[in-house]
Amino acid sequence: MSESFKIKLDGKSVAANAGETVFEVAKRVGVDIPTLCHDSRLEPVGACRVCLVEVQGQRRLQPGCAWVVTSDMEIQTHNDRIQRHRTVLYNLYKSDHELDSTGLPLETGNGNQLRELCQTVPDMKLAPVDAARSDRPMDDNPYIQFEPDLCILCARCTRYCDEVEAVNAITLSNRGSATTIATAGQRSLIDTTCELCGGCIDTCPTGALIEKKAPKNLVQLGGTESFRSTCNFCGVGCQLDLHVHNDRVVKVTSPEPGETLNDGNLCVKGRFAYDFIHHQDRITQPLIRDFNGDLQPATWEEAIAATAKGLNQVREKYGSDSLGFISSSRCTGEENYLMQKVARAAFGTNNVHQCAAT
Amino acid sequence: MLKPDAQREKILDLLEHAGGVTEESVRQVSKETGVPEADVWGTGKFYSLIDTPGKRTRVCDGLSCQMAGADELAKSIEDAGRACERVSCLGQCDLAVATLTEDMQLKTYTKKQTTISPDDPDLAINLAGPVDLSYSALKKAIVLGASGVIDEIEASGLQGRGGAGFPAHIKWKSVRSQPETQRYVVCNADEAEPGTFKDRETILRQPHKMLEGLAITAAMIETSEIYIYIRGEYGNEYASINRAIKEAQTQLAEFNFTVVRGHGAYICGEETALLESLEGKRGMPRLKPPFPTEAGFRGKPSLIHNVETIACVPSIIHRGGEHFKNLGRSEPGSKLYCISGHVELPGVYELPLGVTLDELVAAAGGYTGTPLAFSPGGASSGFLPISMRELPLDYKNLANAGSMMGSSGIVVLNDTVDMAQAAGWQLEFFERESCGQCAPCRIGSRYLRRQNDVYLKLGDPIAFEHADDVAWEMEEGSICGLGMVAAKPLESARKHFPDHFKTK
Repeated sequence: MSESFKIKLDGKSVAANAGETVFEVAKRVGVDIPTLCHDSRLEPVGACRVCLVEVQGQRRLQPGCAWVVTSDMEIQTHNDRIQRHRTVLYNLYKSDHELDSTGLPLETGNGNQLRELCQTVPDMKLAPVDAARSDRPMDDNPYIQFEPDLCILCARCTRYCDEVEAVNAITLSNRGSATTIATAGQRSLIDTTCELCGGCIDTCPTGALIEKKAPKNLVQLGGTESFRSTCNFCGVGCQLDLHVHNDRVVKVTSPEPGETLNDGNLCVKGRFAYDFIHHQDRITQPLIRDFNGDLQPATWEEAIAATAKGLNQVREKYGSDSLGFISSSRCTGEENYLMQKVARAAFGTNNVHQCAAT
Repeated sequence: MLKPDAQREKILDLLEHAGGVTEESVRQVSKETGVPEADVWGTGKFYSLIDTPGKRTRVCDGLSCQMAGADELAKSIEDAGRACERVSCLGQCDLAVATLTEDMQLKTYTKKQTTISPDDPDLAINLAGPVDLSYSALKKAIVLGASGVIDEIEASGLQGRGGAGFPAHIKWKSVRSQPETQRYVVCNADEAEPGTFKDRETILRQPHKMLEGLAITAAMIETSEIYIYIRGEYGNEYASINRAIKEAQTQLAEFNFTVVRGHGAYICGEETALLESLEGKRGMPRLKPPFPTEAGFRGKPSLIHNVETIACVPSIIHRGGEHFKNLGRSEPGSKLYCISGHVELPGVYELPLGVTLDELVAAAGGYTGTPLAFSPGGASSGFLPISMRELPLDYKNLANAGSMMGSSGIVVLNDTVDMAQAAGWQLEFFERESCGQCAPCRIGSRYLRRQNDVYLKLGDPIAFEHADDVAWEMEEGSICGLGMVAAKPLESARKHFPDHFKTK
């Protein structure tokens, strides 16, 4: 049990635990500290400067995401100094960002948290700084698009690729205002160690990384309806949110980190291999072969009865162990359990296997 | 995520050896070291000496070189059909204009003489004095023991000479108080603040004072591991250190010296960026705390000092802290002042800490023309008007004047200089050298430089409408000292020279 003590947050006494950051305590007690570069899965770097707070005794403002609380510490998250800081900072970000016709940071299909923050402060109308930030025009990977003019260089994508995926396909490159997100040799992601998991898209706070397959104007189209489902590409059971627009899945994301067992992560299949859902060749109802060998639509009851009948005939003629059951690696653990139950309890054989087991 | 056996610390040298960052060199280095290709690429691309392969002449655009005609020189090189790159201060301000040839040899185009203080055995560093190979201060320090030595350092009032002016003995005590026994001494020889060339002279003329100081420091914090990080542009100085280590190998037998060359990044003079660079990473400053004395090089307690700070140590041990303290006037010790720009005899002068500009310039042969302004401590210190010529040049007085002692790289500007232009040169420096990690510095330095350009072009001060807010945010919101001071040249020039920023 870690040590607990009190700190003062905006003048109110709140409980905190040793090792917690200001941001964590504030979040727990419902005090909003904005941030762009923070992702609970990553080591804090305090680079975006959005979460700066006043810590009593410290001459400089300090990043709430990285500042570890100690007993009796006094923190201010709102005052004139912090408000001026946020105002100028957000406006600086805006001068280095692609804006829409209203003068706010452009919003892609994945939203833009900077846009939301900018709406909380007055517009200083700073002249654009026109940073020479390179992208990867030759990157022909099918899934992940990088828009450098929407990038705020918080490095969540590169840190995610390093700290969570251990893939290290992307990096901060160059220096100063020319700093950008790059691959070695600015090669296509396909020609790097990238596994196209798309976690970089998920963690990007400004929509600088987007799914090539998703409509670019998803937000303007009125957004999507989200349905929680279980990925059926393997038995791990990753939870995913299917984003549906006009009765079609247009994007797949993971639930928030910490919510489900996949902790905000997906693999290339879970995130991008959803085209089969609406594919014309997809079988959407049970089919039974007729006397001519042609497949005919049937109800589930008819299909299950036909299967049971066939299996029972074999068993009666050749015995239980003449049957074998193989389930797919795309089945969940629960489905595999049911499969072995069918084999053992219903048909009396131990001949049951799952194709991913060997 | 780095494999446990990856050799990250080697990658920058290997890239330099391979002629710079190319797809092929990055692949090779990645293979040899086990560091992922993208990391090698991104790290190499941070450093201006290796980011782009190919030979070219590098022409300094530091303040003194600009005033001595660096633009014309660069143009003549380009006109002759040779590749030319404008680079940040090369640390040769007394020899302006400075260049590095295509083969990375120093070549200067000065029309002036340069000099140093004459031999005076009383001075702490005494650049012109005889070289002492006895290493008797080291022997004396070992007899005195850590507490005795640290008492003397404390009594001497020695402040960090790299710019921050932090009391040296506090760092020593802090490292000694760490439970971790694997510790490092790191010497910051990444001298790159425009206007500064004192460490250059110390390394060239009195390298043994530095080495002896490092050995004493290492002995006192009970380590044998000493790293010297020297800027990559300092070729002669690198050779001087290595020569000196060889000369004193018997006296220094108990210490392991590693001399690491930088690869072109001013920010690596910031102590935590320096540590990142030593570890083979992009030179992006770390968040503090933890401080390097707690978790520094390789995460271990590290004592980092500037060359000059370290080189004062032998003298303090020989003659006692009190003697050193009394060498100063308004603050303790003698101090190496670099002076360049519009003075007759630019050079490095060791004078009592707290002399005035007029006294310093008197040593440097007098002003050239009618003085208008001076930059007291490198680009980071901004500009002060010549009316402040009587101000003691020390840490406290300069800070109170809204400037800083910094690295005591003093540049004098006479009335031929347009202060808006001078501010522009400094802004360009900070824009180029910003590491890019945090937005206030990355975007702010570019914003101010561009607005100053707009003013220079159109002559309308409306360009500075938001300059104060942006400068304020850079100081408040940046991670490290670079961002905190990057607006100073413009801020101070506008404050002290409003006539230079009027509607034209």
